[in-house]
Amino acid sequence: MAQIETEVLIIGGGVLGAVVARELSRYKVDVILAEKEADFGWGSTKTNMCIVCQGADTLEFRPEYHRSKLIWDSMPLMEPLCQELDVPFKRVGELALIRNNEELGKFRKMKSKAEKLGINSHQFIDQDSLRQMEPNITREAIAALYDPNIAIVDPVRLTIALIENAGQNGVKVMRETEVVDISRKLNQFEVETNRGSIQCRFIVNAAGTSVEKIAQLVNSNDFVLYPIRGYVGILDKNLGDLIKHEIHMRPDAPGQMNILTPSVHGNLFFGTTMQPSQRGDYSTTRRIAEIGLQNVRKIIPDLSEKEIIHSFAGFLMFRNWEVGWHESVVQASRRIPGFISICIGYPGVSAAPATGREVSELLRREGLRLEANPGFSPSRKAPPVFNQLSDEQQKELIAQDSRYGHVVCRCETVTEGEIVEAVRRGATTLDGVKFRTRAGMGRCQGGFCTPRVTKILGRELGLPEEKVTKKGRKSRVLLYKTKELLGGK
Amino acid sequence: MAEEKIICIGCPLGCETTLKIDDQGEVVKITGYKCKEGRQYVLEEYRSPVRVLTATVLTQNSVRPLFPVRTNKPLLKTHLKEAAKVLIGVKVKPPIRVGQIILPNLINTGIDVIATDDLLN
Amino acid sequence: MKFSDIDVAVIGSGPAGMAAAIKAKEEGAEHVLILERQEQLGGLLHQCVHNGFGLFYFGQDLTGPEYAHRFVEKVRDLGIETLLETMVTKVSGDRKITAVNSHEGTIHLQPKSIVLAMGCRERSRGQLSIPGTRPAGIFTAGTAQRLVNVEGFIPGEKVVILGSGDIGMIMARRLSLEGVEVKAVIEILPYVGGLIRNEVQCLHDFDIPLLLEHTVTQIHGEQRVDAVTIAKVDKDKRPVDGTEQNIECDTLLLSVGLIPENELSRMAGVALDPLVGGPVVDERRETNIPGIFAGGNVVHVHDLVDDVSWEAEIAGAWAARLAQKGDHEKKGKIALRAGRNIRSIVPQTISGQNDVTFYIRVKEMEEKVQLRVGDIYHRAFRVVKPSEMIKVNLLQKDLKKLKEKITELNVECERGE
Repeated sequence: MAQIETEVLIIGGGVLGAVVARELSRYKVDVILAEKEADFGWGSTKTNMCIVCQGADTLEFRPEYHRSKLIWDSMPLMEPLCQELDVPFKRVGELALIRNNEELGKFRKMKSKAEKLGINSHQFIDQDSLRQMEPNITREAIAALYDPNIAIVDPVRLTIALIENAGQNGVKVMRETEVVDISRKLNQFEVETNRGSIQCRFIVNAAGTSVEKIAQLVNSNDFVLYPIRGYVGILDKNLGDLIKHEIHMRPDAPGQMNILTPSVHGNLFFGTTMQPSQRGDYSTTRRIAEIGLQNVRKIIPDLSEKEIIHSFAGFLMFRNWEVGWHESVVQASRRIPGFISICIGYPGVSAAPATGREVSELLRREGLRLEANPGFSPSRKAPPVFNQLSDEQQKELIAQDSRYGHVVCRCETVTEGEIVEAVRRGATTLDGVKFRTRAGMGRCQGGFCTPRVTKILGRELGLPEEKVTKKGRKSRVLLYKTKELLGGK
Repeated sequence: MAEEKIICIGCPLGCETTLKIDDQGEVVKITGYKCKEGRQYVLEEYRSPVRVLTATVLTQNSVRPLFPVRTNKPLLKTHLKEAAKVLIGVKVKPPIRVGQIILPNLINTGIDVIATDDLLN
Repeated sequence: MKFSDIDVAVIGSGPAGMAAAIKAKEEGAEHVLILERQEQLGGLLHQCVHNGFGLFYFGQDLTGPEYAHRFVEKVRDLGIETLLETMVTKVSGDRKITAVNSHEGTIHLQPKSIVLAMGCRERSRGQLSIPGTRPAGIFTAGTAQRLVNVEGFIPGEKVVILGSGDIGMIMARRLSLEGVEVKAVIEILPYVGGLIRNEVQCLHDFDIPLLLEHTVTQIHGEQRVDAVTIAKVDKDKRPVDGTEQNIECDTLLLSVGLIPENELSRMAGVALDPLVGGPVVDERRETNIPGIFAGGNVVHVHDLVDDVSWEAEIAGAWAARLAQKGDHEKKGKIALRAGRNIRSIVPQTISGQNDVTFYIRVKEMEEKVQLRVGDIYHRAFRVVKPSEMIKVNLLQKDLKKLKEKITELNVECERGE
């Protein structure tokens, strides 16, 4: 198998690995990013509420945490970053609902704590104004704490854009590349993967829920993480106008959060119940789905479960009480030079821009030379999104490439042209196409487009359709040809 | 005297009928049916249950990988799986017109397999 | 093609769309246009290679493609215009249609009237919130039907089917005949969801176990489905602890209900009936938006294709009349009210001026009942079931018996023969 050499190896192509890759592409550094899945952002980046917060928005807000600083520093960076990368960003604002005077008191304290740190964006909203802002929410709310800064993004698209931009600027990207072992020889790491070994001087361990596992490979496990599984439900786009802001409420029971938020694509997301869980177990259970629904009904009392089009589980990584449950890991190993681990826990997306900068600074301190890359370009152009174009633009696009006139996903109006472009940019699976183009993400959840997308994928990748997978490895979609099981050919 | 229950599938009403059968296996009485055709169906379903087989066959030189076919008459229920297997070996080429015989005398039943669509390209 | 002088535009070309277009043309509409997103007319009929179509409409037992073929020939013979591989992306309340295809790009139409005939779609896993992992190998029965019968692929070799809807049972038979092991059909209700003939011909004939009052409680497998857990349910449809069992399989098919496809209707501001999922219509199948009609499964999911076509013909005929005369018929004023053991009634309003075909679904199975429509109609039933729609034809002369200025008409099941 191939032996590859590089200066920096980034393990993990989630939003954090991607943002580090893009940050390092500003410099003349050899970088490889290795992702174990078939596409980017399929861990916690994908199973996400998609909110960009600023850390002073919950009662758990701890200014003493380094995490809070990363989130706070990231806030002004996120919008320009999304603009550079041509990905959606929408500043929707946030309303923390207040139901009684006790809660009001707690929010007052939190607000003054935030103000001492210079976070002045919060304001209290009285009941009448709240009604005007959000006429459909529970009547139990007597007031709200409003933060106009809070925004929403599409974390997977952001991740893919970061990686595309990093790629334009020279970063090498490897997919379906899983790190199985790491050994340290002289000043080098020798990283064994399922695709051969990679020699490097520095490692950025951004392996998400596997971050400890990777650290243990070099005996650099100087942190402990507790995975907590959260549940998120997605509501039909028909309800897109039900609320305008991200809305949350203090939970009535520990380990829960009552939250409902718009998403950049028009669906509403709600969540989340939190339960300690086995790492990597993304399965949902009936119980947490029911609690999730109960919780969202505290915000929208008469919400029908029929409006739920999809649900998923994701992980929040918690630390221990000594460092603080909500603290993040962004640190160089105490024992192993050149080995940096990052894990925000949550909200990783919100903290990503500042984390990227911090990691390059950590690498510099570990001895990496950072010399500006003269060819660096910060801009990346998104592929065309047919249903967001004007009639004229649509016409023009179809005239250039008639495949943009062929609608493949009816729910989200995704065209063949967009799917072909997604494949050209790296999608190799049904889920890859789904997260890049939204084909299959609508209310019919791929019922209509699955056979069609499978066919296009097979054709574009030069594979027989039976080899096309949902998400790489052994996740083949179609196992046999008709007649094959009867012995026909 | 024995009883057998047969659900009539002649139409969507799905009448549940009861057949009284004597020791010689002859039907003595039928109850629960609502129409003449239903009575006839139940009697036949008791004596020799038959079904129309619908299936697909593979194509050659066509834009469509599969082509739909059926038997022109119902065949014995017990023959369905065997008949379906025979169709594995059949390959059709355009042009074909709806109703055209694709395979005559399916497993020596005297029943033909016919096209249920046009295959023009 | 000239798009400027369309009289009647029909969206969809399944058994509803083609029937509506043919009827509109026969009623004298000059320019009738069908918009179809697939490469051929016929909608889902092409993947329904089984028989059972047209027993009533044609008096013959046809397969889906044969049923489609008869309409396609008529569409061609009558000179009805068609736009294939064309997706309608917008319909507005003033009857503007925006569509897109590879040849013309973006197309704008302003027909005099529109018939919505988009049919229905299947409920997905997400809507059921079935717990478990997210592997490959979960399909709706209709998607599997397209794969097996049209695209030429078998999703897997060991299949469990959740839901005993018609498509699920038909796929159980189809897959069995293709050499697949269908392990079980799991139904949460105490009775079969689809038609009895499908239970007999598709399940009994092939010895496929039907587990009533059971559901899938967990999906297993990381990459591909490797098993499902099923359990008995109680009266409230909740799984009973201790009744779980694992079934090894590589594929789970869902046949758990159909939903009228009304994205375009919503855009146009068409009012929907939450009970049936489709537009509120009057006896002419006109929606609340003047000039926009609807027929077939887009209005409410029928049991039989024959009724889909018949209902769409009503819409087509009135759409043609409106397009020609320009003036507007008196709107329905009498609202139908669902009384005892009635779940839904279509049409939801009537004018009392025209013949009416009612389609009624009951809430629960009940034996020995009288179905009553106000005091002008009653009929005895040995049994009524939610899975079998009741059809009632009332003529104008029957409706004349209605008291004047009546605003509501009650439909109910009365106990006793």
